[in-house]
Amino acid sequence: MTLKQPNKLPDWLEQPNQLSSQRQRHNFLAHNQQHLQQLLARLSQPLPAVQSKKWQLSPAMSLVRLGILVLLIALTNNTGWLWLLGLLIAGHLLLLSPSQFRRFCRSWLMSTVIALLIVLPSYWLVGSATVLLFGFKTGLILASTQYYRLTTTFQALLSGLKALHCPNILIMTLAIAITYLRMLGHYLLQTMQALDMRLVAPAKHPYRLIGTLFGNLFLKSQAYALELYAAMEARGFNGHYVNQPTTTNRWHDVLTLTPYLVLVTLFIFGRYYGIN
Amino acid sequence: MHIPDNYLSPATCGTLVLAVAPVWTVAVIKVKAQVKAKRETLPMLGIAASLAFLIMMFNLPIPGGTTAHAVGGTLLAVLIGPWAAVLALTVTLLLQALLFGDGGILAFGANALNMAVIMPMVGYACYRLVQKWRHPKIGLFVGAYLGINVAALVAGIELGLQPLLAHTASGAPLYCPYGLNVTVPAMLAAHLLVAGWVEAIFTILVYQFVAKVAPTNLYTPTPTQSRRPWAYLLGGLVLLSPLGLLASNTAWGEWSPAELKQRLVAQHLSQQGPQGMVRGLHFKALFQDYTIGNLPISVGYILSAVTAVLIFLLLMRGLQHDTQTTK
Amino acid sequence: MALIKLTALSYDYPNTRGLDQLNLEINSGDFVCLMGPNGSGKSTLLRILSGLENASQGDYHFDGQAITADYLANPQDRQRLHQQIGLVFQNTDVQLFNTSVAEEVAFGPRQLGLSDAEVAQRVTDCLDLTHSSDLRERVPYQLSGGEKKRVALASVLALNPKVLLLDEPLNGLTIAAQQQMLTLLQALRAAGKTIVMASHNFKQVQAIEPRFVIFNVAHQIQADLSAAELAAQPEQQAELLTL
Ligand SMILES: Nc1ncnc2c1ncn2[C@@H]1O[C@H](COP(=O)(O)OP(=O)(O)OP(=O)(O)O)[C@@H](O)[C@H]1O
Ligand SMILES: [Mg+2]
Repeated sequence: MTLKQPNKLPDWLEQPNQLSSQRQRHNFLAHNQQHLQQLLARLSQPLPAVQSKKWQLSPAMSLVRLGILVLLIALTNNTGWLWLLGLLIAGHLLLLSPSQFRRFCRSWLMSTVIALLIVLPSYWLVGSATVLLFGFKTGLILASTQYYRLTTTFQALLSGLKALHCPNILIMTLAIAITYLRMLGHYLLQTMQALDMRLVAPAKHPYRLIGTLFGNLFLKSQAYALELYAAMEARGFNGHYVNQPTTTNRWHDVLTLTPYLVLVTLFIFGRYYGIN
Repeated sequence: MHIPDNYLSPATCGTLVLAVAPVWTVAVIKVKAQVKAKRETLPMLGIAASLAFLIMMFNLPIPGGTTAHAVGGTLLAVLIGPWAAVLALTVTLLLQALLFGDGGILAFGANALNMAVIMPMVGYACYRLVQKWRHPKIGLFVGAYLGINVAALVAGIELGLQPLLAHTASGAPLYCPYGLNVTVPAMLAAHLLVAGWVEAIFTILVYQFVAKVAPTNLYTPTPTQSRRPWAYLLGGLVLLSPLGLLASNTAWGEWSPAELKQRLVAQHLSQQGPQGMVRGLHFKALFQDYTIGNLPISVGYILSAVTAVLIFLLLMRGLQHDTQTTK
Repeated sequence: MALIKLTALSYDYPNTRGLDQLNLEINSGDFVCLMGPNGSGKSTLLRILSGLENASQGDYHFDGQAITADYLANPQDRQRLHQQIGLVFQNTDVQLFNTSVAEEVAFGPRQLGLSDAEVAQRVTDCLDLTHSSDLRERVPYQLSGGEKKRVALASVLALNPKVLLLDEPLNGLTIAAQQQMLTLLQALRAAGKTIVMASHNFKQVQAIEPRFVIFNVAHQIQADLSAAELAAQPEQQAELLTL
C-alpha cells in the first residue's frame, strides 16, 4: 500500500464547501424518525400499574377478562347489555390515575373517531341505528383493549400467557420479539439519523435508501440471532421459558372476575328468556 | 390491512382461527426441521417478528405527498423461509393486537390468515416458480404484488360477507355494514393501484441489497422436502371447510343456502332503496331493531343513574392532578 | 464571533438527564477534545451539535444562527446544516449502509451534484487519507470494528464539512492506527477545520495539544482548559488518565 503523506490534504479539502440548497418534496426520514422515537419511548417506559393493589388481577385473569369482555361486546346487539358492559368498563377506568386516564381518553377517542369515520358512509346504506350501534360497540371494544394495554406490562402479558398454558416456544418467541423490537428499533433509528446527517440534498431515489435501510436491518437481525443463540446455549438453554410464579391468590382472582362470569351466564341463559 | 374488532362476527373469527390452526401446526413442524439444520432459526423467529413490526410501521413515501405501509410478508418468506415467516408474522400480529391496538383481538385469526399465511405463501410460491426459470427478481416482484393483493382480496371477502352472515331479523347488518360490492372493490383498488406497487418495490429493493451484500444469508430451501405436510394441510383444510359453514349457520342460522343466494342477488344486483334515507334519522329506530325496549323501565332508570354518577366521577378524574405517585 | 455557542443548554432523555446547563463557545479552527466518565453526556452533546437532537432548555447557535426545533424541521435548513457539520457516530455500525466501501464514500459527494470524475477523485483521496484504499471494494457490513471507524471517517470527510464531530474515533484502533488518525486530524486542523472529538485516550490525544472540555458524572462541564492550562494542573491530568 502506498501511503500518501497525510499532512498534504487534497485541494478540495483545503477549501471551504460551496453550500447548496435544493427544495425537497418528501421528508420521509424525519417523519419516520419521529414515529420510531415514539415507539421507543413507549417501549422503554415501564407502564405504571393500576393505583390500588386491591383490584389488581393476576396477568392470566386480566387476559381472560379482556377476552370475555371483547367477546361479550361483540356478541350482543342489545343496547341494554352494551350499556351495562360500558358501565363495567367505566368502573374500571376509575381505578386509573388521573394522568393515565387522560392518556386513555386521548388514544381512545382518536381510535374511536377513526373507526366511526370508516363506517359513517354506511349511514346511507343501512340507516342510523346500525351505525350508532356499530359505533357504540366499537367504542366499547376499543376502550376495553385500551384499558388492558394501559394496565399491562409486557412482562405481565408473557406471564399471563404462560399461566394460560401457551406453548413455551411461543412465549419465548414473544419475549424475544419484544426485547429485540427495542434493539432493532434503536438500530434503525440510529441508521436513519446517520443517513440524515449525510443526506445533504434531497434523495433522488428514496426507495433505494429504504431498501438499504431495511436490508441492513435484516443483516443486523441475523447477526443478533446468531449472538442470541450463542448466548442462549452458553446459559444452558433447554427450550423452556421460565418465569417467576405470580403472587396474587386465586380467590381474589375469582372474586374480581365474578361480575364477568355472572354476565356470561346471564348472556348464555338470557337468550332463552328473551333478555337479550 | 389490519381488520379491527367488531368488523367480523365472532363466528367468522372463530372459524378463521380454526382455519389457520392447521397451517400453524404444519409451520411448527417444518420450522423444527429448519432449526435442526440452522440452529439460530429459533431466536430468529422472534427477531424476525420485530423486524416485521418495524417494516409495518415504516411510512413509505408515495407520489402525491402521502405515505403507505409495506407488510413485508413475501420479503420475510424469501429471507427466512416461508414457514418461519408464517410464525414470525403471526407473532408480530399478536403483539400488534395485544399491545399496540393494530388489528382486533377477536379478528386475530382473520388477520393471521390474510397477512401471515396467504401473503407469504402466495408470494413465496410465485418466487419459487419463476426462480426455476432463472428470474428470481421478477418472481419476487410479481410475488410480492400478488401476495398483498390476494391477501387484500380475501380480507375484502371476509368483510363483505358479514352483512350476509350476521344481521338482525330486519336485515340490518350487525358487523361490517358494507357488502361485497363495497369491500372487495375498495380493498382491491387500494392495493392494486398503490399498496401492491409499494410492497413490490420495497420487497425487491431490500432483497437486492441483501443478495448483493450477503447472498449466503438468504434462505435456501432444503432440496429433500417431503410433501407430507402439504398433504396434512390440504386434508385439514378439506375437513375444516364444512366447519366454516357450520359455525356461521348454527350461530346465525336464520337463512338457508337458497336465502343466501337470494340475499346476494338482492344486495348486489338490485337497486335497493337505501334504508337510512328512506327512514331518515329517527332515534326511535334504536328501539325498533334492538331490544332495549324489552328492559323494564326501572332497570333503565337504574342504568341511567349509575351512568350519570360514573360519568361525573370520570370527569373529576380527568381534571385531577396526580397527587400521590402511582402505587 | 464563536462558530458554536451554547448558552445554559440542558438536554433530558425520557427518564434521565443527558446534559445539565452547559455554557460553551467553540471558535472556528478550534480542536476540542471532550472527556469525562461513561454516561457523562459527551455523545449527547455531539448529537445536539450535529442537529440530530434539540436542546430541552437553553440555546444553541451555529454560525450566528439559532438551531431550534423549527429550524431543523425545515428540510432545506437541515440540509444546509448537515453540509457544514459531519458526525462520526460512536457506533459506526449504524453509519455504513451501502453495498461497497467505495459506494459508501461516494454517497455524500454524489448528492452534492458533483461530476463523476470529482466524486471518484474524492473517494480515492478520502480512502487514501484514512489508509483504507485496500478496503475499496469490500462490503462495509463485513468490515472489522477498526476498519469501520476509518471508512466512516472517510465517508464524512468526502462531504468536506466545516465542522467535524467525532465520537470516540480512536476506539478500537491499534496504537499505530491511532497515530495515523491523529496525524490526519492535525492536518485537517491546519486546513482550518473545526474539530470536536470525544475520547478516552488521554495520552494519545494530549500529544496534539487540543483544548480539553471535561465533563463530570452530573452531566455538567467541570473544566474547560487549553493544553497549556492543563499542563499546569497535575491532579487534573491524573484524573483524566483514569478515564
Ligand atoms: N437513548 C437514550 N435514552 C435514554 N437515556 C440515554 C440515551 N442515550 C444516553 N442516555 C443517557 O444519557 C446520559 C449521557 O449519555 P451519553 O451517551 O451522552 O454518554 P457518554 O458521555 O457518551 O458516555 P460514553 O463514554 O459511555 O460513550 C447517560 O446517563 C445515558 O444513560
Ligand atoms: Mg458516548
